[in-house]
Amino acid sequence: MNKKMILALLTSATLILGACSANSSSNGANGDGAKENTGFNPDKEDGTLYSEINGELGAVPKITDEVNLGAVAKAFENEYWRTLKEGMEIGADKFNSNGYNIVADVKSPQGEADEEGQLSIVRDMINKKYSGLLLSPISDSNLVPGVEEAVEDDIPVINVNDGIIAEAPHFVGPKAVENGEKVAEWVSEKLNGKGKVAIVVGMPKAFAARQRTLGFESWIKDNAPGIEIVEKQNADWDREKAKNTAETWIKKHPDLKAIFANNDTMALGVQEAVNASGKDILVMGVDGIGEAYDSIRKGELDATIDSFPKFKGQIAVEMMIRKIGGQELPRVIWTPQALIDSTNVDTPAEEIIGWTEPELAQ
Amino acid sequence: MKAKLFSREASLIFAIIMMVIIFSAIEPIYLSGGNLLDIFDQTVINGLLAIGITYAIITGGIDLSIGSIFAVVIVITGDLLVRGMNPVLAITIGMALGFVLGVVNGLLITKLKLQPFIATLGTMSAYRGIAYIYTGGWPVLDIPDNFRSMLAGDVVKDVPVSVIILIAFTIVSHIVLKYTKLGTYIFAIGGNEEATKLSGVNVDRTKILTYALCGVGAALAGMILLARLGSGEPATGQGYELNAIAAAAIGGASLAGGKGNMIATLLGAILLSALKVGLVVVGVDSFWQYIATGAIIVVAAYSEVIQDKFKKLRLVKNKNNNKNTNYPKSVGM
Repeated sequence: MNKKMILALLTSATLILGACSANSSSNGANGDGAKENTGFNPDKEDGTLYSEINGELGAVPKITDEVNLGAVAKAFENEYWRTLKEGMEIGADKFNSNGYNIVADVKSPQGEADEEGQLSIVRDMINKKYSGLLLSPISDSNLVPGVEEAVEDDIPVINVNDGIIAEAPHFVGPKAVENGEKVAEWVSEKLNGKGKVAIVVGMPKAFAARQRTLGFESWIKDNAPGIEIVEKQNADWDREKAKNTAETWIKKHPDLKAIFANNDTMALGVQEAVNASGKDILVMGVDGIGEAYDSIRKGELDATIDSFPKFKGQIAVEMMIRKIGGQELPRVIWTPQALIDSTNVDTPAEEIIGWTEPELAQ
Repeated sequence: MKAKLFSREASLIFAIIMMVIIFSAIEPIYLSGGNLLDIFDQTVINGLLAIGITYAIITGGIDLSIGSIFAVVIVITGDLLVRGMNPVLAITIGMALGFVLGVVNGLLITKLKLQPFIATLGTMSAYRGIAYIYTGGWPVLDIPDNFRSMLAGDVVKDVPVSVIILIAFTIVSHIVLKYTKLGTYIFAIGGNEEATKLSGVNVDRTKILTYALCGVGAALAGMILLARLGSGEPATGQGYELNAIAAAAIGGASLAGGKGNMIATLLGAILLSALKVGLVVVGVDSFWQYIATGAIIVVAAYSEVIQDKFKKLRLVKNKNNNKNTNYPKSVGM
């Protein structure tokens, strides 16, 4: 009997846990936001849009010496970071074809859990006296010692995308909170401002992910009182977990109208659950990965936010050249991002973001 | 007779029923047919991995590489399918691949005499590397529908093929363990490897076979996920080995070896899915779900400790009792 009693106790413990957190979940959204204001938050800065940079700083200065750019991404296992790398290399090539001599060395540690490994790559680049560092830290703290060393050695540092390094003098990346806001605005329009929606979140380790949910929730709260966020759950960035979670929600809320997932991988999992249910539920993701574009083309996934890592990489390289060339960069430079849906899925990215090649000094 | 009352399966079924009652009391939708089916549906992946790893655990080993085998099978069979291979052939190759990767684990453990934990820690990383290199890190997209409906479709309405595969794999494994010589050897190795070797059993071959079966379980799970999602990523399945170990442990398998039960492992996996679905239905905050899952593992393990204590007391009282508790007959206790 003992064992049965223990297992029974366990189930009641679960019940209590359920009750506890049912109360706390409604406050969860605000709690997330409050915690991250301990340090530097680029979303709260008065940033400069990339499109305004040329007007403010003028043409990119000419550098004839060899420039060794060191860039450290989070993890090449992830398509996003491979594309950013590609963008940085394209950026360097474009300058080189105009008489510059730039070598872009883009590295990543072994997976997004390797915080120490990422720091040792940065240290190695500092020891080798690279001309400038473009850093995308895994967490908001793991590269801080490296950045401090670089600043001491007068090596220019630019923080690209998230996580956030408060100690780095410049940040280049999208306004993260705008991700969620754009999705919220889009879905509110599609639903005529009313209906039930749910959010699949990923356990946030870095800044941008937290901002996605925050941006979505606060936009809805301020602008669309008729839209009700009925569920919010973590799915660990995992496609199958997101699918499972969505399956349950669809049964629990027969009138669910839309599901927002914190990234495309989870959104594609949610989409599978929606397909299986045969219901007409809007699904939105973030990242703009190739598979998400394909799914939108097929008429399945409804929207994603693309922050155009290929162009972001080029912008990061351009900013570093401006910096090395002696220009004074703003603290925060916002790179373009846009919502992709069936109306613009086949429009070239250059057109969507109004891309123009940087003007070079003669 | 008394042992039956206390069987692991009975108490797990009791716990699952309790859980269903409590969750339905809070949120009646939990009890709906569709939702209960979801619990089984969501057990499939972890269930197959857990049944596989139970083989290794009973021999006193472990297989940390199953999440990586899972990924290798996903990307390679996915790629073959996209290139137009016949689905049945691709599934056969996928299972063979799981078997071979498992055999490699077994060879490292038996021939190089590596500890299973270390050997499979190594292959966990190496196999993951294979998945990344094979795809260059990109997902395999547009898996053909004929394959998808084969593994992700329904046998009859609302009864998914994948659930049947899980049940079949469990029953076959249960029969292997309880009623075949191989099963007896597997338990004997977990109980006392030296003695088993001395009694003339080919220990190496038996152990290699358990890791191969573990690999087959991972391969089946991988292909079902591939069919369900319609695409496969090389990064998939990280950490899945821990969920599988959790299910086996809740099912009463002992990491010291010599103890385990396939039906109970399956029930352990169902319990975890029932909990997960329940927490989502009720809307429990994500952070608390980790605690709930942790609590269930610890409590289930502790109940096993208590049970062992009672069993020992009974053994002392009854001198004529069968001394060798490692034989399969006594495993279901």
